[in-house]
Amino acid sequence: MKNKDPFGKELSIKQLMELDACTQCGECLKFCPVQEVTGRPEISPPEKIRMFRALMKSTRGLKKIFGRDVDNKLLQDFTNAVYECTVCGACGQSCPVGLFNQRLWPVLRSEVVKRGLGPVGAQRDMPQKVRETGNPYNDPAEDRFSPWFPDNVKVAERAEIAYYAGCTGAYCAQPMVRGDVLVLGAIGASFTMLPPEEEVCCGFPLFITGQFDILKDLTTRLVDAYVAKGVNLLICSCPCCVNIMARDWPLFYGRALPFKIRHISQFVQDALKTGKLRFKKGLQERVIYHDPCYLSRGVGVIAEPRFILKNIPEIQLLEFDRHGAESRCCGAGGAGRKVYHENAIAMGRLTINEAVEKKADKLVLSCPACYEKVNEAMVGHDKQIKIVDIMELVSELVI
Amino acid sequence: MGTILVLTAYLLYLLFCFRFFLRAFLWYKAAGQQTAVAGVNKISCRTVVSAAIDVLFFSRLFHTNKLLWSASWTFHLALLLIFLRHTSYFTNPVPGFIIFMQPAGIAAGYVLPLSLLLILIIRAAGNRDRYVSFYNYFLLGVLLMISVTGLMMRTYFQPDLIGVKDFITGILIFKPDVLPDSSLFTLHFLFALLLLPYVPFHLFTAPIVILEANRREEGLGMILHEK
Repeated sequence: MKNKDPFGKELSIKQLMELDACTQCGECLKFCPVQEVTGRPEISPPEKIRMFRALMKSTRGLKKIFGRDVDNKLLQDFTNAVYECTVCGACGQSCPVGLFNQRLWPVLRSEVVKRGLGPVGAQRDMPQKVRETGNPYNDPAEDRFSPWFPDNVKVAERAEIAYYAGCTGAYCAQPMVRGDVLVLGAIGASFTMLPPEEEVCCGFPLFITGQFDILKDLTTRLVDAYVAKGVNLLICSCPCCVNIMARDWPLFYGRALPFKIRHISQFVQDALKTGKLRFKKGLQERVIYHDPCYLSRGVGVIAEPRFILKNIPEIQLLEFDRHGAESRCCGAGGAGRKVYHENAIAMGRLTINEAVEKKADKLVLSCPACYEKVNEAMVGHDKQIKIVDIMELVSELVI
Repeated sequence: MGTILVLTAYLLYLLFCFRFFLRAFLWYKAAGQQTAVAGVNKISCRTVVSAAIDVLFFSRLFHTNKLLWSASWTFHLALLLIFLRHTSYFTNPVPGFIIFMQPAGIAAGYVLPLSLLLILIIRAAGNRDRYVSFYNYFLLGVLLMISVTGLMMRTYFQPDLIGVKDFITGILIFKPDVLPDSSLFTLHFLFALLLLPYVPFHLFTAPIVILEANRREEGLGMILHEK
């Protein structure tokens, strides 16, 4: 063990109380997507909490006084459980005492990181990759925008509005970010972007894997760069980026952000309401919208994507059984979609299956990680459906 | 036997206090740690009222599992009534409302084991979502034993109630009296002592966490929707 500090030092008082407040009722297992595809209660939310409580006890109180060692098997089991989770937060949403698990799990992961046991697999090199290339995928910064950025959209040197593409969108879900930019162009508002080498990772993949060391540095670099461009509104389409920007950047930056953060669906909704954006074509199809966990229960953006879709002439909007704040994870969460590939594919297929069962023509997503993984889950699957990002769809109908 | 029971009671009570203060010290040390800031609004009357409803009526559990909710809520209500009824064994004079609620407390004594059994059955009958918490099963088992021995004393094997009251009051005022001559009472008391080190901390923290959850949920709309 690299670190012999007592367990629980990273947790806030609220989170320590949350650990005690868990009644171990197990109700959350019905909503946990990892349980749905693995059926292994030993990696379930209450079991993670039970194990962490045991680890805390072994390094605090009487057990600490009497010199008992940390149970290494327990620590390894806890590490496996806390990293196999998609950190979607559905367990907290359904919790009878209302635990805030979207924030509790990353902090518990950081306790493991401190001891050198986490993160796992490809997550381990992420801080190094972000330091070297600005993104967790180790892709060259010069390829961040050039492969997908439309020639007919102009980016201002300075503007009050800025667009942040995000690493997953830029490298793994390019139709999505291309759609974003085309829609922004169609709205006609002047917007700016940071140069590819300056638009570094927002910090979310590091935060979610419990690697907090460079978050302050990343946040400061990005915020200061946008301030230098005169920005007072930062727009982004990636739910994870938006989530960390709105919820945690002020904490890492040390004060309130000097600009507002908005999800692109909010900006597009306003443009539709004010007439700055109009649909030129309709869509005679049944579409089903999947709420990304970090957009719906993360920051409460639920109505806007639906407003946009319902405004498309002739469209029929369907809903998943679990939607809005209760939505089910598509499998791509927790920065584990590459590490726990099989789980992620199985979860993605559950989303596809329900969309097909509801006879939807298109499955509309609004998250780059969902976009990448659900598309991957479709390969070789017996049920097929057309997957489209919401802004990709809008861009096809407004231009 | 009586002396051993009394000393055990004092020891377990001390351990319980020690456990509580250790936990409180841990919370105190963590008080400055912050992990998320957005969407934290002030605690309004609305938040307090909605949290109070959640705490009193377990409304969050109602949304996820109505059968478990009915059993859990009944169990907690029965436990509260029985606890209040038991205060008549260590108060002198007995407050008027405790005398008034005795019939309800007696009825709760019958309901409690039934609700515990129902919770056990619901847990055991779960399929995919079954989560086996040995701690919960242990607690349920001890509570069931306490309630069954209590019910047996109420119905068939009534102990000397004056002796019981003297014994309990004696412990509380540090002047221990003799243990009543009733094996059932001794068992009942032993199970109650066994429960003491395992009193779940959610009794203290869940109301605070529920209040915080209500505040967070009300603030969710402010994160990206502020003017």
